[in-house]
Amino acid sequence: MLSRQLIFVLIALSVAIPLVIKIGLPNQVTTEVRNVYESIEQLDSGSVMMISFDHEASSLPEVKPMAQAILRHCFQKKLKVITLALMAEGTAIGEQLLRETANEYQANYGEDYVFLGYRPQAQSAILGMGEEIKRVFPQDYNNTSLDRIPMMKDIKNYNEVKLIISVADGDLPVTWVDYAVSRYHPKFACATTAVMATSFYPFLSSGQMVGLLGGLKGAAEYEILLEKPGMGQKGMDAQSVSHLVIVLIIVWGNVVYFLRRKTSTVDSPRSTAKPL
Amino acid sequence: MQRIIPIIVCFIFGAFMLVQFFVPHRVSVSAYQTVLDWMQIIFVFTLLVGVISYVKLSSKKITRTQSGWGYNLIGLAGLVVMVIFGFWKGTGERTPFLWMFNTIQAPMQSTMFSLLAFFVASAAYRGFRARSWEAGLLLLVAVIVMLGRVPLGSFISHWIPDSANWILNTPSMAAKRGLYIGIGLGTISTSLRIILGIERTYLGKK
Repeated sequence: MLSRQLIFVLIALSVAIPLVIKIGLPNQVTTEVRNVYESIEQLDSGSVMMISFDHEASSLPEVKPMAQAILRHCFQKKLKVITLALMAEGTAIGEQLLRETANEYQANYGEDYVFLGYRPQAQSAILGMGEEIKRVFPQDYNNTSLDRIPMMKDIKNYNEVKLIISVADGDLPVTWVDYAVSRYHPKFACATTAVMATSFYPFLSSGQMVGLLGGLKGAAEYEILLEKPGMGQKGMDAQSVSHLVIVLIIVWGNVVYFLRRKTSTVDSPRSTAKPL
Repeated sequence: MQRIIPIIVCFIFGAFMLVQFFVPHRVSVSAYQTVLDWMQIIFVFTLLVGVISYVKLSSKKITRTQSGWGYNLIGLAGLVVMVIFGFWKGTGERTPFLWMFNTIQAPMQSTMFSLLAFFVASAAYRGFRARSWEAGLLLLVAVIVMLGRVPLGSFISHWIPDSANWILNTPSMAAKRGLYIGIGLGTISTSLRIILGIERTYLGKK
């Protein structure tokens, strides 16, 4: 039997070693990631996009590469980006990431992008923005009135927004679908942690989401499309090896289980248990 | 009266939100926006209730030096320090608030989340046994999806990611859809029961 400590060491090594020694396994781009990329790629320069940071700090290593890749694409395409947070911790993370990425592309605050800050009670904030964004966010994160921000002059509600992306680690994308997509019909996509991704496949199939980025793999795929390697691709080797190690650990656990069962069956011949 | 008034308020606002969806008149839209504003205002007060409750609970444990009171002290100190620096120096770039968030809170939370990988591996080793055909099938599906969702899967064979995608897009999605439809129907029936005053458990005990 493997001890718990040995399993922990194996997992730690399987994550750490590939981060130091690059393996470079080829990554395939999935349809759902390509759809997000194409939805942004098809937008004309100056089109308005909305990105909502709907996550906590705990999932930062997984959601940050996705958010960064999407923001890079937006600034590369010279889109106008409205950002906000519907979870409190997403505020500081989103603001910093936005500032860093905007600096990479010399984007100007108020003209190319704006950060509206955080609003509690996601349902009413999402519904409210469908009527009038200024009513939900009269001021941006820096307490500047939206009336004084040039970029926001002609933007009233979702009608002017070409695509909304929720960068989330929970089920807030479902809230966006329920309250924004169902009622106001904007185009919507989400970038979410791998563990949550499967929950959103029904919305992809129904067309309520145009695409989806699932965890570090989603970020890596987006970076391939963007031809700009980042944190996603860097982490994929580590994720591949750690998945393999977990599979091998499970297989070994079953081998031990069946060997023990066989031994106990031999010891007690009256047993009628049927092995798999 | 303590029960009747909330039921009446609930009925009026529930019925209004239901009806206004189909009435795009400006009076209806204006009233709807006002309700949305109030929803946010009320929610902020619920946050305040949460903070007060946390402070009261922690203070009680600290003053009585109950088991684990040290953790409550650290939690309470963290809350107070963050609030003080947030109001005093702001939350923007190069502020103590942001420094504490980036160097203490975010790494701690990420660490907690990352620990899951270790516990999942350990639990999978101990619990994932092919004890029956059903368990064996579940095990096989889990292995295919785990390998199919990383580049290693396609490196071994294109069959692995293709199968993983089929599993996610067909049987898994069918189950999810069933769940979502059930949740949707349940939400509608519970909402109607609350609006009509049949379901009263949200009011608490008599």
